[in-house]
Amino acid sequence: MLFGAILGVRAVPEPQPSPRSVPDLGPGTVHSRKEPPLSDLSPETVHPILVALGSEPRALRLVHTGFRMAREQGRPWVAVHVAVPDWETAPEADQAQVWLREARDLGAETAWVTAATVCEGLIQAGAQCRADQVVMGHSRPRGLWDRLERSRAQEALRRSLGVRIVTLALDPAPGGRVARSVGQRLGAVLAVGAILGMCGVFASALAVVAGFPGVPPVFALGVGFIAHRWGRAGSVPATGAALGLGALLFLPGPPFRAEGWTRLLVLAGILVLVQMVVLLVDRLHQETRSLHRREAESLLLMILGRALGRCASAREVAEVLAERTRGMFQAQAWLRVPELDDTWITLPEAPEPPACPRPSVLLPRFGRGANRTDPFAPLFLEGCSFVALAGQGGADGLLQLRLEGGRPLAPDSWGLFQSLAVQGALALERVRGLEAVHQARLATESERLRNTLLGAVSHDLRTPLAAIQGAATSLLLPEPLPEATRLDLLAMIRDESEQLNRLLSDLLELTRLQNGALRIHKEWQLLDEVVGSALQRLEARGGPLPIRVDLPASLPLVPLDGALMEQVLINLLGNALRHAPASPVTLCAWEEPGAVQLAIADRGPGIPAELHRRVFDKFFRMPHARNDGGVGLGLAICGAIVDLHGGAIWVEDHPGGGARFRITLPLDGAPPEPLEPEPSPLSLDTLP
Amino acid sequence: MTQPLILIIEDEASLRRFLVPALANNDYQVLTAATGADGLAMAQSHNPDILLLDLGLPDLDGCEVIRSLRQWSRKPIIVISARNQEQDKVQALDLGADDYLTKPFGAEELLARIRVALRHATQTVADTQVLQFGGLRLDLERREVAMDGIPVRLTPLEYRLLEALAQRAGKVATHAQLLNEVWGPVGAGQTHYLRIYMGTLRRKIEPDATRPRYLLTEPSIGYRLNVD
Repeated sequence: MLFGAILGVRAVPEPQPSPRSVPDLGPGTVHSRKEPPLSDLSPETVHPILVALGSEPRALRLVHTGFRMAREQGRPWVAVHVAVPDWETAPEADQAQVWLREARDLGAETAWVTAATVCEGLIQAGAQCRADQVVMGHSRPRGLWDRLERSRAQEALRRSLGVRIVTLALDPAPGGRVARSVGQRLGAVLAVGAILGMCGVFASALAVVAGFPGVPPVFALGVGFIAHRWGRAGSVPATGAALGLGALLFLPGPPFRAEGWTRLLVLAGILVLVQMVVLLVDRLHQETRSLHRREAESLLLMILGRALGRCASAREVAEVLAERTRGMFQAQAWLRVPELDDTWITLPEAPEPPACPRPSVLLPRFGRGANRTDPFAPLFLEGCSFVALAGQGGADGLLQLRLEGGRPLAPDSWGLFQSLAVQGALALERVRGLEAVHQARLATESERLRNTLLGAVSHDLRTPLAAIQGAATSLLLPEPLPEATRLDLLAMIRDESEQLNRLLSDLLELTRLQNGALRIHKEWQLLDEVVGSALQRLEARGGPLPIRVDLPASLPLVPLDGALMEQVLINLLGNALRHAPASPVTLCAWEEPGAVQLAIADRGPGIPAELHRRVFDKFFRMPHARNDGGVGLGLAICGAIVDLHGGAIWVEDHPGGGARFRITLPLDGAPPEPLEPEPSPLSLDTLP
Repeated sequence: MTQPLILIIEDEASLRRFLVPALANNDYQVLTAATGADGLAMAQSHNPDILLLDLGLPDLDGCEVIRSLRQWSRKPIIVISARNQEQDKVQALDLGADDYLTKPFGAEELLARIRVALRHATQTVADTQVLQFGGLRLDLERREVAMDGIPVRLTPLEYRLLEALAQRAGKVATHAQLLNEVWGPVGAGQTHYLRIYMGTLRRKIEPDATRPRYLLTEPSIGYRLNVD
């Protein structure tokens, strides 16, 4: 893509990358991900290496080359992708993002440049980051024109930036290719024949014109080239043919002379030697190449392992695996996890993942007993390759890969594919372990809570019950009690049962709030009314209370659940009255952009700063609090209710002494339509 | 005047055990039924003056009982329900129940509700053109409102709202009932209208709007004009 853009060889203009994946920065903008921005590099900074990344799969080589060069030279490096509007497709842009991310993982600063041509974009990026070396890939030129274009583009770059340009072939190198079809084979035979013929003519010409015995070196050259180009399959017959030709040249006319035979033997020796050397060198070359590929693969696996190590859920593991697999194989990939009901969960979710046999059918084929010729070979079914993510109990899931056109995976990629599966399996296992730990922690927590609850409940329920029972049995005694005692006992029964009722209501409320059984029912309400009804309930017990309420008439309607918020106010005001007896309690509210603030303040002893958070815990009671019937649920309930409203509750020191509880309630959602104003107050004559 | 007859439809024996003597001791005749079906049969055979109905009956939904009763009887029904059943209460009230009590409740509260319900059953608004609740005076004929003798100027909607509450003074009026009576069908579901008007009405009538003495809020259910 990159060089395609420079060379202009891409015939089909392609749509611009979608704004979803690529921030549209407008033409000529450079977007850098790391600090300092590209343009801010000071002059004395070491010149970085600029690596121009395209979106083709082999751009990964560029990433690694850039990384290696930067490390060797001890310099920073910048990976840049030039997006040419109307040229790049959305998947290509996505892929380029993947390469940029990879580069970032390897320590590069990355930039995304939008420009009219790739060359222009590179000049821009190069100038801004003061690079003195540009690494770029090139495809194999397809003719003279390509070559010319490319050198022109490189020349332009070199001129405007004054940089050294390193190009890397992105296509697989030719050579070692084996002719397959009949036509190719025929062509090869013809080519071999032609080469040998030319060698013969050339050698004869040398001998005739210069008197130089050129047959062995010339034929050695020819056979060497053939061995390099077509391998053993070409060079062995070619050696035979060359010997035949040599025989014709060295042994002219009957009968065969002994001198000719020695020459022929020498020629044969030379040819075999040359052939062996060339084949050996080629093999070495190939090994080196595959070594490089393995190195790249292991680097990729390392990056994958690091990315997987950051995942916290099976879903994330699947997403990372799918994305990297897509990058490595240019293919679609999914994780299939078996469910209890013999179906698959497909991760990441795809609208239409390819068909896949049921787990009970597919999974046994990965078991130990399954006979497969090559343990590394993925299972190939209906256009998809599968490998198992082996867990403790056999296959935990499958990694499914679909190459374009439903091709099977080439054997030299099996190892990589299996390694991906192993990494995925390890990551899944780790994630599951994390989940198990989390669950265990939750279980311990709820166990602890249950114990506290049981302790608190058994104590706090028994106390009023004991009082009620005692009072009632005393009243039932045969000896009549004095009237005053009788009334006192009866009042006690009433008070203690009220206390029991409060405790049970609190427990019930908190349970319902916390297990999600309670559905919040928000309505747009006036705070006046909620405050009023809270005061009404508080004062119903014992007459007017020293609570000063300051609510501006301009307060807007607030979306809240009246009954729940009333409970919050009752708990907070009740607490203030209990803990700060005989001190004035104030309740005020004001509007802020997007929220309404409430404050309930007292002048009591206050709450130490280190307990500001803990007071909202369940069963938390102030140290040295007197036994006043509270069980430490009130504030926990307040917290849960305010949470349900999407608001916040906290406590702070009241300036001047005491505690101040604060609540923020968000004013979210569309407020109700304003009412049509009523024209005038009622007057008799306007009425019917 | 004969003693009013009260029918208690309540499945829990302990509650009946407390209700029967408490009511009998206050000059009421008491009948009890433990199931909804029994209760309906007894209501037809004895025609009680007032019914106490538990919403959580074993055989019938309390609302079913109200619906059947309301097909032939206008006698007051007071619903008894547990806490956190606001929706059931609202439904029962909208179906025609007159008032509700939340368990647990005290005897005095129960007696007060029964008194209010019986008073409403025996008098109609048409009899009395001037209503007096503490300092609040409402002249239905002249459509005048005064607080402690000082006239209060209300908008037509505010007046209609106050009137609707006054016509069920002492009893709870649900949001739906008030919206329907004041705004008509267009008011359905527009509870915030009601809240805003109640707010302005309170500011005009109540000495302290956040400590209402007359216009009490029944959270999640509706409002009540206090007669005590």
